[in-house]
Amino acid sequence: MIHLEGVSVVYPSGVQALNDVSLHIGRGEFCFIVGSSGSGKSTLLQLIYRELSPTSGRVVFDGQDVAQLPAAKVPFLRRKIGIVFQDFRLLPDMTVWENVGFALDVLGATRREKHRKVPISLELVGLGEKAASFPHELSGGEQQRVCIARALVNGPPVLLCDEPTGNLDPDTSWDIVELLSHISETGTTVLMATHDKYIVDRLRKRVVNLVRGTLVRDDQTGTYDVS
Amino acid sequence: MSLNTFEFLASQASSAIRRNPMVTIAAITNVAVALAILGAFALVAINLHHMAALEAQSAVITCELDEGADPADVEAALLLDMRVKGTKFVTRDQALENLAKKWDFDLNVLKAMGNPLPDTILVYVSDPEEIGAVADAAGKVEGIGKAWYPEQITEKILTVARGVKISGLVVGAILILATLTVISTTIRLTIYARRREIRIMQLVGATRWFIRLPFLLEGLFQGVMGGLVAAIGVMTGYIYLEAYAEQNLQFVSLYTTTDFLVLFGAGVLLTGAVFGAVGSLAGIRQYLRTV
Repeated sequence: MIHLEGVSVVYPSGVQALNDVSLHIGRGEFCFIVGSSGSGKSTLLQLIYRELSPTSGRVVFDGQDVAQLPAAKVPFLRRKIGIVFQDFRLLPDMTVWENVGFALDVLGATRREKHRKVPISLELVGLGEKAASFPHELSGGEQQRVCIARALVNGPPVLLCDEPTGNLDPDTSWDIVELLSHISETGTTVLMATHDKYIVDRLRKRVVNLVRGTLVRDDQTGTYDVS
Repeated sequence: MSLNTFEFLASQASSAIRRNPMVTIAAITNVAVALAILGAFALVAINLHHMAALEAQSAVITCELDEGADPADVEAALLLDMRVKGTKFVTRDQALENLAKKWDFDLNVLKAMGNPLPDTILVYVSDPEEIGAVADAAGKVEGIGKAWYPEQITEKILTVARGVKISGLVVGAILILATLTVISTTIRLTIYARRREIRIMQLVGATRWFIRLPFLLEGLFQGVMGGLVAAIGVMTGYIYLEAYAEQNLQFVSLYTTTDFLVLFGAGVLLTGAVFGAVGSLAGIRQYLRTV
């Protein structure tokens, strides 16, 4: 599904964000990307949804060389990728329902499609009851669920999560990760960048460890630290 | 495009206008003032040209034929000049008749006095601005003794018209620049106010044009509204001026036909729309470069 081959990223400032990273992630896999701040986790995710292009190396998504994609085709790549952020990025003047529906609106969906897909997505994240609430009326965990519902509403095969639990307390974080794990069991590939040791150690999924831009470890059922 | 999509784009564009009504009004006012001034310049220039054309119609070049010259040959020679629209041969007898008619003389008396007039060829030019040059050229054609035209009036009107056109272009360029800047700045404000939405749109895979369309619509709205205000203002003023001129300035006849006014109004409106589109696209290009 996602394939990185000798990927390096050097920012214009000269900072080497990724250094010769090769990685393969199969369809339906759940994979943690761990490492301290500045280790290149976000950069790696940004390469996949073409927010960045590699300085050298290849990034292949679903058989397509992402860096070769013309700018006009990038939106169609992103329709196959759901993205979840640490800071939720919900629109404050829209209800939960509208926030999720917004992702369909901008893809040119019909009203009927919207009314079919939004409730399914909200049920999936367990927020069917809160559809009419505004983001500020929700807890952090609930806001993150809305963000996940929005990322999934279009049925993408891949979900990228950039520190999705960074702003949440440990219990809520665990709930969110369980939800993501459940989503991956339905066939969605989930890639989660995190530095939450507790979660990684408890879930025991594949762990890819970056240190200052270099891939130092790739364990199929790993823990946060080298065991 | 589904109905839902159309509603979505329209609501995006209109929410920006509702969110910043004063900014929108300022932009519309700017477009309206600029277009009104440009429109006024255009009207003055059009009218001066109209007057010059009227003047030029009556001010044909009169070419006096040498005795014994063949009028057909001379006419053919004159028609070789591309600037000549047409010629008309007038015999000295006809010329005398015309003269008698014009001044209400007794034709028989004039004839008895002996006809002093030469045979002439009247030359009509397509562009009144060329009349002087054509007359000079006609004077050199073999068989023509003298070529003259009631000059100066046409020339003077055309000189003024040229001045109006040039100053109109200068003022117009400045106004256009100012208007485009104002529109692109209001679009920039909207883009800034909506940066979160734009970011999400980009991330969930909205196409570039889908993201840009609401801003384009907003700019178009400002341009068209400004054009509408300008068209109504200038046309109302023009109609009043025309009525006033008719009553008080007999020698000035303003160019007014319904067709012309409709065309002029449509032109102002269209110019407004173009301003809106170009201004917003400039704003989009400048501030949404990554979209």
